This record gives sequence, structure tokens and C-alpha cells, in this order.
Amino acid sequence: MSFPGYGAPAGGYAGGFPGGFPGQQQDPLFGYFSAIAGQDGQISAEELQVCLTQANFSGGYKPFNLETCRLMIGMLDRDMSGTMGFPEFKELWAVINGWKQHFMSIDKDRSGTVDPQEMHQAVSSMGYRLSPQAMNCIVKRYSTQGKITFDDYVACCVKLRALTDIFRRRDQGQNGTASFQYDDFIQCTMST
Amino acid sequence: MAYHNQYRPPHYNSAPPDQAFLWNIFQRVDKDRSGSISDTELQQALSNGTWTPFNPVTVRSIIAMFDRDNKGGVNFNEFAGVWKYITDWQNIFRTYDRDNSGFIDKNELKQALTGFGYRLSDQFYNTLIEKFDRQRKGQVAFDDFIQCCIVLQRLTDVFRRYDTDQDGWIQVSYEQYLSMVFNIV
Repeated sequence: MSFPGYGAPAGGYAGGFPGGFPGQQQDPLFGYFSAIAGQDGQISAEELQVCLTQANFSGGYKPFNLETCRLMIGMLDRDMSGTMGFPEFKELWAVINGWKQHFMSIDKDRSGTVDPQEMHQAVSSMGYRLSPQAMNCIVKRYSTQGKITFDDYVACCVKLRALTDIFRRRDQGQNGTASFQYDDFIQCTMST
Repeated sequence: MAYHNQYRPPHYNSAPPDQAFLWNIFQRVDKDRSGSISDTELQQALSNGTWTPFNPVTVRSIIAMFDRDNKGGVNFNEFAGVWKYITDWQNIFRTYDRDNSGFIDKNELKQALTGFGYRLSDQFYNTLIEKFDRQRKGQVAFDDFIQCCIVLQRLTDVFRRYDTDQDGWIQVSYEQYLSMVFNIV
């Protein structure tokens, strides 16, 4: 099962946050990064939340879900510091733009939310082959009043990917079944 | 980690509060007077003792636990259960929060969970703190403590359901695994 959503093409940052010192950093995103990261040069989940809220990723200028920010940082956080440096931020920015485009393409009526039916299609189009029951269970977890917002959609994508990785690593024969010992089950599942 | 040690939900023998007292609270929490307390209303009424908003995920879990007909809130009868549930957790939390800081640290968490019958590795406590410490203090606040216990209990329950021969191992398909854990973590 592939996860094309993760390697999605960068949407590019089209926002006016000029910054950085001329000549020092060519990347237009760097100025933006340093403005958010502050003095420590690292972005925490809270800083990411502020940033994504300001960029209005969640729509309607609602605060972007902090839990989703944590999940995203966890996904890219290779040194397990709980924060992100510039390379990770850049990667995340590309990924999240890819997700946003994907989300907008499923959100046909541009309401800023997708319904469970649209979500089913979205998850299948990412390459996951799931039964309607499993799909229902997942979609239900991430919907509020029958709708899925962008931040919940992202949380769902990240979670699905992490859990699939965990499973795949234990599916020795690649036959779709895996064995878990209790300790391992609790620990790996909790660590996502 | 010992699997056979069962998790016991808190039975802290707090005396049931009287109805008039509860009704009074219920009415104050039910801001829109709908006769049912929603996630948001409950969240606003709860305090984790640290001046930060109560963990919304915990609130949702608690409401879901007592909301029998899936209406997205709790009525007065169900609220009595919610009240008792939270007070019991509060008493437990206070027992382990020896220095009354409003947070429990790794050692206190270890004592609490060991008291519930969990046998977890030292390293795993780091993972737990890392996951449930929303305020990034290296310690766990009241609401996050409840959340931690709820998640541990649910994962253990779901594991036990699949471990029919009780040997501490399960074999599951990809979909079973996803369905098992998706609603919990």
C-alpha cells in the first residue's frame, strides 16, 4: 500500500512574508520559518499551530488543531526533539500543501469540509484498500457532526500512515497478517 | 509488562452527591439550557488546575462514555455518572500528586499505573509522558492523566478481546489492526 499523499508535489508558498537576509538565504520560505521559530531556530507544535492558523489552513480562521500539529512534527521529527528545524519545516510545508490541494479537490462544494462519502474516496485514492467497515471506523473517528475538516483530514492521513508502517514492519510474510505481543502492541500503538 | 494484571477503573468510594446539588451544577454547566451538556459546555466547566483549557480529547472521551444514545451530550441522569467519574479520578490524582503541584511526574505516574496493575517498562513511561504531556513540562496534568489511563485501558481491552487463548500474543489482519486502534489513539 503506497502512500502517495506524503510525497505530494509542493504547492509552493504563495504568501507575502518577505524575510531573511538578502544573499544569505535564497529560500523564500526561510524568512517565514525564522519569523515563526523565533530565537531557538526550531518550530514547536504550538508555533506550528500559530503558523498554520495564520495561513488559514483550517479555513474560517479557526485555530488549527494542536494535536494534528504534534502528529505532523512527530512524523518528520528525526532527532525526536519534538520540534522542527528548517529542512523539516520545508518538507512539511510541501506535504501540507499537497494535502491541501488533495483536500480541496475532494471538497467539491468548497465548503471547507468533506463528508464521509468524499473521505472514503479520498482514502482509497491514496492507495489504501480498505473494506467499507474499516473505512467507516476511521472516518467516524475524524468527523465532527458528519463532516471532516482539513486538520482532521491531515490527522487521519498521518495516523493512517504511521499505523500502516507499524503493521507492515510486523507483517513478516507480507501476507496481511501480523503478530503482536502485548507489550509491543501497547508501546508501538501508543507511540504513534 | 504483565498482561494478566487487569486494569481496574477507579472505584474510589466517594459518597454520591445529592440530587439538588448536582442539578444546580448541571444547570450552570448547561449554558444553552438544552437539557444536555455538550463537549464544549463540559470543557468550559472543567478545570485541570493549571489555568489551561481542559483537554478536549478527554472531554470527548468522557462524554462518549456516558452518552448512551449517541446524541453528542449528556442529560441530567447521565451527568451524575460523569460527575462521579471525574471526582473519582480527581481523588486518585490527588493521592499520587504528593506535592500538590497539579502535575504528576514520571515516578508518580509509575506508582499510579503500578497501583492499577500495569507492569510497564521504565522506558515506556518516558513514551507516556512524551505523549500525554500537552503542556511540555515533563509531567502530566490532571486531564492528560485521565486521557493516558483511558487510552491504556482501551488498548488493553481491545487486545484482550483478540487474545482468545490468553497467551499475550495476538495475530491480526491489517484491517483488524486498524479498526482495533483507530478509535483509541
